[in-house]
Amino acid sequence: MGMRMVSQFIELIDGVGCADDLMLVMSDICATLGFQFFAIAHHVDILQAPASAIRLHNYPARWADYYDGNALGVSDPVHRASHKTSAGFRWSHLPTMIPLTVADRRVLALGSEQGIGDGFTVPANVPGEALGSCSFANQAGRPLPEAMLPMAQLAGTFAFECARRLWSVRAIDSEEKTPVLTDRQRDCILWAARGKSDWEISRILGVSEETVARHIKQGCERYGVNKRTLLAIRALFDGTLTFTDIFRR
Amino acid sequence: MLHILRFAPRAVPDQVMQAMFAARKSVFVDLLKWDVPVIDGRFEIDQFDNRHAQYLVLAEPDGRHLGSTRLLPTTRPHILDSLYPELCDSDPPRAGDIYEITRFCLDRGLRAAERRAVRDTLVTALVDHALANGIHSYTAIAEFGWLQQILAFGWRCRPLGLPTPVAGRTLGAIRIDITPDTPYLLARAGINALPEHRRDEPRAAA
Repeated sequence: MGMRMVSQFIELIDGVGCADDLMLVMSDICATLGFQFFAIAHHVDILQAPASAIRLHNYPARWADYYDGNALGVSDPVHRASHKTSAGFRWSHLPTMIPLTVADRRVLALGSEQGIGDGFTVPANVPGEALGSCSFANQAGRPLPEAMLPMAQLAGTFAFECARRLWSVRAIDSEEKTPVLTDRQRDCILWAARGKSDWEISRILGVSEETVARHIKQGCERYGVNKRTLLAIRALFDGTLTFTDIFRR
Repeated sequence: MLHILRFAPRAVPDQVMQAMFAARKSVFVDLLKWDVPVIDGRFEIDQFDNRHAQYLVLAEPDGRHLGSTRLLPTTRPHILDSLYPELCDSDPPRAGDIYEITRFCLDRGLRAAERRAVRDTLVTALVDHALANGIHSYTAIAEFGWLQQILAFGWRCRPLGLPTPVAGRTLGAIRIDITPDTPYLLARAGINALPEHRRDEPRAAA
């Protein structure tokens, strides 16, 4: 029964030719699954983002305005949690997934004041592109359709791919623009990311403190940034460094 | 260079095969912590690495491993029907023109841009291989997070069952249909082979 429903969803999504079609199809799928609202989005600040950033939803207008006005796209706790997992998750499980700040709790409380209750988010992460997700939600007081969540997970994944196709999403950095660090620059920024000072790094690598400072400065220049924190983050984003590199040992 | 190889049980595996099994150990055992057999402390080789398996291996001219994948005939025991039949809503697809893609492996020594290029080349090679050998579908098992990426290659994918939690991971089985327009679909999605990795003539490993 579940797979027949999913096949019908995929057939509907396959027939989509423009964003308006996807809106109609998703409203339909949403209702069949037992949800009222859906949102397909890249996790970016929509007012600053390029036109290629995906966003499609049928949330109530008041909620959407608040959300955009406060640039919640990047810090929304639901979006943050979807970077921690690849499987779909219920919003009510957020506190067990990521540390929630006071502001996060305020966002979630405000959402419920606006009438948004529990939801289910399917992370949609394609390497090299902005992170994204497809969410389904209900108004406060209306329970999640538990039995439908596996179907919602597949529907969300296929819907996001459809949106990628419609929005012609491409990698954030084209290959020729990705800066390349020397091995020594990479070593230095790796130790800096592990919290070591220039002096400590110089002891570890057996070079002078000035040499370490120069490597990091030149690394920053290659990426066009002026702070080592930014250099570490950019290197993490493009895969020059990985989280495993930093936390191992 | 793309090598299309078969497993040769008693012969000494050639350098490309050895490098692939070592890379698989590094990725699936050391990095992903899969509970799979390791031979000699260096090579990840399991019961499906037998004379029925085929391998697509991208390697440097000196034999250094870049990326690889293993194809299993679905008419013989393979991973979906032997280990995870519960991922399929009905019987796992079994036919002479359906192969299972397993152990899709990108070398850990690759940088981000290289990884993407090697990945794209290997995906393109899978499609070329299917079209050249009368393979009409592939099946595959993927952790759910990979599914978005697999769909993003642009080819036609269908789920074979609902996402299922298995030992802390959410797994899904998919079928990928290969038709004469699949190369076009890949190109439209921006998936292109590296020019220097064109197909090598098929040869046996031993």
